[in-house]
Amino acid sequence: MDPASTLPLLLGLAWLTPLVSFVAILFFGPRMGPHGKSSAAVATAAIVVSLALSLAALGTWLSVHPVQAVSHDSHAAADSHADSHADSHADSHADSHADSHADSHADSHDQALPPAYSGDWYTLYEGGALKLSIGWYIDALTVLMFVVVTFIASCIHIYAAGYMHDELHDFTDHTVHLSDGSHFHRPGRFSRFFQSLSLFCFSMLGIVIAGNLAMIFIFWELVGICSWFLIGFYYERQSASNAANKAFIVNRVGDFGMIIGMMALWGALGTLHFADSSGQNSAGIETIRPGLLSLVRPEATHHALHVPDGMVKFAAADRVAEITLDHATRTEDGASEIASRVDDWRAMGYGRWLLFVAGIGIFCGCVGKSAQFPLFVWLPDAMEGPTPVSALVHSATMVAAGVFLMGRFYPVLTPDVLLVIAYTGAITLFLAATIALVATDIKQVLAYSTISQLGYMMLALGVGGWVAGLFHLFTHAFFKSLLFLCSGSVIHACHTNDMRKMGGLAKVMPWTAGTMLVGCLAIIGAGVPFVIGLSGYYSKDSILAQALSFSQANPSHSILFVAATGGAFLTAFYMFRLWFMTFAGQPRDAHISEHAHESPRVMVAPLVALAILAIVAGWSLPGGFGIAAMLEQARPAGTAATVTSGYLFGSLTIPAEHESHVGAIHETATLAAFATAAAGVLLAAMMYVWRILSPLAVAWVFRPIYTFLKQRWYFDELYGAIFVQPVLGIASLASSIDLGVIDKIIDGVAWTARQLAGIDAWIDRTLVDGLVNATASATWSAGIELKKLQTGHLRQYVMFIVIGTVAMFVLASLLLRSSLAA
Amino acid sequence: MPPMHALSQPALWPLSAIVFLPALVAALLSLPIIPKAREEFIRWVALATTAVVFAISLWMAVPGLFGAIGPAQFQVGEAGMQGIVKLPWIEPFGIEYLLGVDGISMPLVVLTTFLSMLAAAASWPITKHVKAYFVLFLLLETGMLGVFVSLDFFLFYVFWEVMLLPMYFLIGIWGGPRREYAAIKFFLYTLLGSVLMLLAILMLYFASDLRSLSDEQLLAAHVVSPAIAAAPREAAIAAIRANDAPIHTFNLLALAQIGQSANSPFAASKVWGMSLEMWAFLLLLIGFVIKVPVVPVHTWLPDAHVEAPTPISMILAGVLLKLGGYGILRICYPVCPGAGLSLAWLVCGLGVVSMVYGAFAALAQKDFKRMVAYSSVSHMGYVMLGIGVWSAVAGQEYRWDAWAQGVNGAMFQMLAHGISSAGMFFMVGVLYDRVHHRNLNEFGGIFNRMPVYSGLAIAVFFAGLGLPGLCGFIGEVLVTLSSWNYSRVLAVISAFTVILTASYILWAIQRVYLGAEYKGPHGEALTPITPRELSIAAPLVFLAIVFGVAPQLLFNYVTPTVNRQVETLADWTRRHDQSAGSVVAIVPAVTRNEVDASGESRE
Repeated sequence: MDPASTLPLLLGLAWLTPLVSFVAILFFGPRMGPHGKSSAAVATAAIVVSLALSLAALGTWLSVHPVQAVSHDSHAAADSHADSHADSHADSHADSHADSHADSHADSHDQALPPAYSGDWYTLYEGGALKLSIGWYIDALTVLMFVVVTFIASCIHIYAAGYMHDELHDFTDHTVHLSDGSHFHRPGRFSRFFQSLSLFCFSMLGIVIAGNLAMIFIFWELVGICSWFLIGFYYERQSASNAANKAFIVNRVGDFGMIIGMMALWGALGTLHFADSSGQNSAGIETIRPGLLSLVRPEATHHALHVPDGMVKFAAADRVAEITLDHATRTEDGASEIASRVDDWRAMGYGRWLLFVAGIGIFCGCVGKSAQFPLFVWLPDAMEGPTPVSALVHSATMVAAGVFLMGRFYPVLTPDVLLVIAYTGAITLFLAATIALVATDIKQVLAYSTISQLGYMMLALGVGGWVAGLFHLFTHAFFKSLLFLCSGSVIHACHTNDMRKMGGLAKVMPWTAGTMLVGCLAIIGAGVPFVIGLSGYYSKDSILAQALSFSQANPSHSILFVAATGGAFLTAFYMFRLWFMTFAGQPRDAHISEHAHESPRVMVAPLVALAILAIVAGWSLPGGFGIAAMLEQARPAGTAATVTSGYLFGSLTIPAEHESHVGAIHETATLAAFATAAAGVLLAAMMYVWRILSPLAVAWVFRPIYTFLKQRWYFDELYGAIFVQPVLGIASLASSIDLGVIDKIIDGVAWTARQLAGIDAWIDRTLVDGLVNATASATWSAGIELKKLQTGHLRQYVMFIVIGTVAMFVLASLLLRSSLAA
Repeated sequence: MPPMHALSQPALWPLSAIVFLPALVAALLSLPIIPKAREEFIRWVALATTAVVFAISLWMAVPGLFGAIGPAQFQVGEAGMQGIVKLPWIEPFGIEYLLGVDGISMPLVVLTTFLSMLAAAASWPITKHVKAYFVLFLLLETGMLGVFVSLDFFLFYVFWEVMLLPMYFLIGIWGGPRREYAAIKFFLYTLLGSVLMLLAILMLYFASDLRSLSDEQLLAAHVVSPAIAAAPREAAIAAIRANDAPIHTFNLLALAQIGQSANSPFAASKVWGMSLEMWAFLLLLIGFVIKVPVVPVHTWLPDAHVEAPTPISMILAGVLLKLGGYGILRICYPVCPGAGLSLAWLVCGLGVVSMVYGAFAALAQKDFKRMVAYSSVSHMGYVMLGIGVWSAVAGQEYRWDAWAQGVNGAMFQMLAHGISSAGMFFMVGVLYDRVHHRNLNEFGGIFNRMPVYSGLAIAVFFAGLGLPGLCGFIGEVLVTLSSWNYSRVLAVISAFTVILTASYILWAIQRVYLGAEYKGPHGEALTPITPRELSIAAPLVFLAIVFGVAPQLLFNYVTPTVNRQVETLADWTRRHDQSAGSVVAIVPAVTRNEVDASGESRE
């Protein structure tokens, strides 16, 4: 079993199966069983097959690249990393990269390339040295993402089959009022829902398996459009279609940056592949074309970051031009002189900005997709979609794609970019957490919580915590999808999103309440310090530890740790505020609580499955297998050691990640996390259970802040004023320039021409009709007959031709005479 | 050349049939023996004609599709001109009936025949003067196809004009309420372009001299047919050499050879302080960009589209606009490379301005069809940008592939836009036929009323939005990515357009298809899509998906030719720099040392 061929096959099939389901449901969905009921079975079967294939791929992976170390306990010793993958990478690289850099650095794990397989399925465009293709890049991260995405998607498909049962029959939407005063009535859309869900799964897995940035961009846009379909699922609601458009357009703002990043890479380097690829050059000789990862961190620098030659030359284009022109007749000399000067130019700093732009650009795309400040505004609105969608698309998978891409692209990021990422993440996590404090819509709280947690992941990546950030991505995927599904269960029971009308639901919905409590505990990182905890305990602690380590190494940036810790406190408060308001105490609305009931088994089972994973996802199995340990296997080459550098914003130290797992840093972080989480829960309990503090009184005392937060920091209003309105203004300006300026000129020319051409037409008309309407000359007479048109305007046409031709010949002879003279 | 041999040229009948069959049928239809009242008969004859022409073009373009491969068929992957047809026409001026296709024109020919067939099918709702309509329609098809296959500049111009008149009447008679205004506007703009183009043609003609070409070049340009026997071939070459006076030519391939030669007469002769090739390039460019159209000569387009009947809009957007891009690519750059290099900023700038301006203007429209028309302005801007990004310069060591990517992207964009814009106009037409208005704010809820139609329409609009997996994406992404190497500023602005495109398309979809209920008049007329409409819409959607998923199907045709043209021009740039450099080299080396020193001192 050769993993280099097995893995692409298994994961490729896992990727395409949902597409098959999408096509089948697209054409036959409504005919699948009564009201399309069986389309749920088709879609679910497809995603379960994908899950099985992904698990097979995981097995294959582990059989070749065993996660050996007893390592992950992320709280354990630093040395765990040393042996976790020392022997796993060499052979795989021999497989995938044609021996080019296989074994020379096998002795030093800091400089080792992670095991990965890559290749192309087919080509979209090829011209010269440039090639855009559809291909794969499979490392431990890819395999893990496949398993997690397909697992969560399977749970959500099963859940949705129950949740969406309203769509199995005709449906009256009470939120939509028609002009005749009645409510909107429509047939169910059960199959359409699963059709979109399947397309989404296909697109999402496409991002995960992608072998190059262009392919990521393709599927990036496709998940965007799936999200558009799913947010706008109830498209008869104005709010839903508005939210769908907002999501897509705000994401396009991020994509704008992403395109710039891609251009910076493509223009200078001519490749968007992550890994090296082999191909034939023009002479038909097999050559290795370096990918982004080895261009930016080549073996020659021991995988330390450096500005690639292409970028140096691109930035030094003036000098290249000089040399090329000097050697105009002997191009080989020019090329070799340029090559010899590249290192000097690099030392002078040529190309640094380009690499920075590339990193920031790609990050912009992630800011949009992962709802980071300042583009987070679309995600809360996206909650207009059905709740299973919120759980799958808008919390666990699609929005995590930005973090995934940053993880994938991490080796290319300069320290300056990392700093920007860290600050963006910190601002996001804090800002979103503050808004979540006062939100009363249960899904809105979770939406802001998602934004905040994504901020944590970005912060982690920014401060050098590659494993920490991606680890949190996985644990978060489990507990956030769990939380959303629980909220869906509550909404299903209460028919409202408003937490102020809930309360005391724990008695009627014990399973939902219990699993949701697990989710809340996981997200706040609950655990017994230094002993054991839920999944969030491990991932969040490693983020805090890395942030602390970074703050200590760069004291001027210690605000990052403060923000992360403060955010942990806010997280604990708003999550338990949510739980207490929903499940604890007495029912606030008798009508709602009377009708509330536990959800059917088909919905509860996925809750339990996800709850179990929300507990154990951070643990290490006795054999050493654990998510964090497996991630460590995929760590990009050259990122394991502490690096001090900095190009643009001064010197910056990115501390090695394993240093934050030991000693004082680790202890401080763990205790800080525990203390803040406990304080948050305590405060929530004081306000919403024991009622020592009245929430109303607190809100009244801090009225300006409360209003400010309640209005979501006025971001929507701000963007409306500084972006939307000006754009619409420019749009109508452009339109009126066309009508008012350009067309006026044209009309004037036409009028003049017509006056000239119309002299004989005037005579004609006076003779024929015997009257001249003076105003008729200002407008072309309407309803003119075919005959009239031909006689009247053909004459003009001929006249134009004659005048034009004469003018032309006069001009031509003039021009030619002078040209002959010259 | 002996006529017997000429008539045995393999591509003579297929290419001539593609071009002239519509005109022939139009002539027959216009005979009085066809009664005007037989409208259904006339429709079917016209549709059958377009279908036959489509079949012949497909037979040519896809070898082996209908059985054995004939010598007239197109060889995919071959970069050069194929299917040459060469007959003398107006001998005193050296004007020839010279036709041929290559990777640039072949796909456009098939696009034209395909869209003409769909447009003929979409013409069923036309009830006014049916006979005259189809006669003009078929004449229009002849004009368009003739432009794409002509290799003689004069013939090119004749077809260009042949196209203009039917279009004028088709808008002016069968159009909407302001049809006359729109027709006159279209006419004035296009006439201006034609006049300038004719001027440029004459300039180039009188400055050209076939004697300056080598034997190989004469053969390559088909001035002397390489297909004939060696003896008459050499005699023909000798006859050219023996001539005392310059031999002028309209042969586009020969003009390109002359224009790219080291001592190009176009570059050498000056007219009012500017080289002749600059004049020719600018005049041709104006003529072509009016057709594209680019801002600020685009205002004929929205009016023409809004007033034109649906099938004519499909033709207008799908094919006519491509003629501009085709002309720039086929004529301006190869014939006037020096001007192309110095005016690359103008071509790219016009492209980017059109992209942004068109997108902004589309955002402001309240008329559905006008919105789609402005989207065409925006999308055709990509074509201009892609053609113009001349990044094969010294600073990039004459790397040609980035520019080639832009040109390939532009070609793809033309073809993709042909599909998506024709589709969009058709989709608007389907609604207009039912409710007789196009006010974007008076639709809504169409998805509930016409689900199949709405699904197809949304797919087509997504193709226009540039969604991956649909045809609009590939061209846009290739052009945008390639523009970085030419100019960072233009690249960033062009990338910005994606936001505006998403905005106007999604907003339009929301207002028309989504929502709870239809808000406009004649709501009762919103009946599901008919089989005839479906048979027009479905192929367009199908092709939008096929070309989006497998762009190689088109690139197999386009890339070899485009790459060769761009490589040739990149080589030309190098030679151009060298010859300029040999002049510079006389300038004391001190100057350069100073530059170096000042460069060093900066660090």
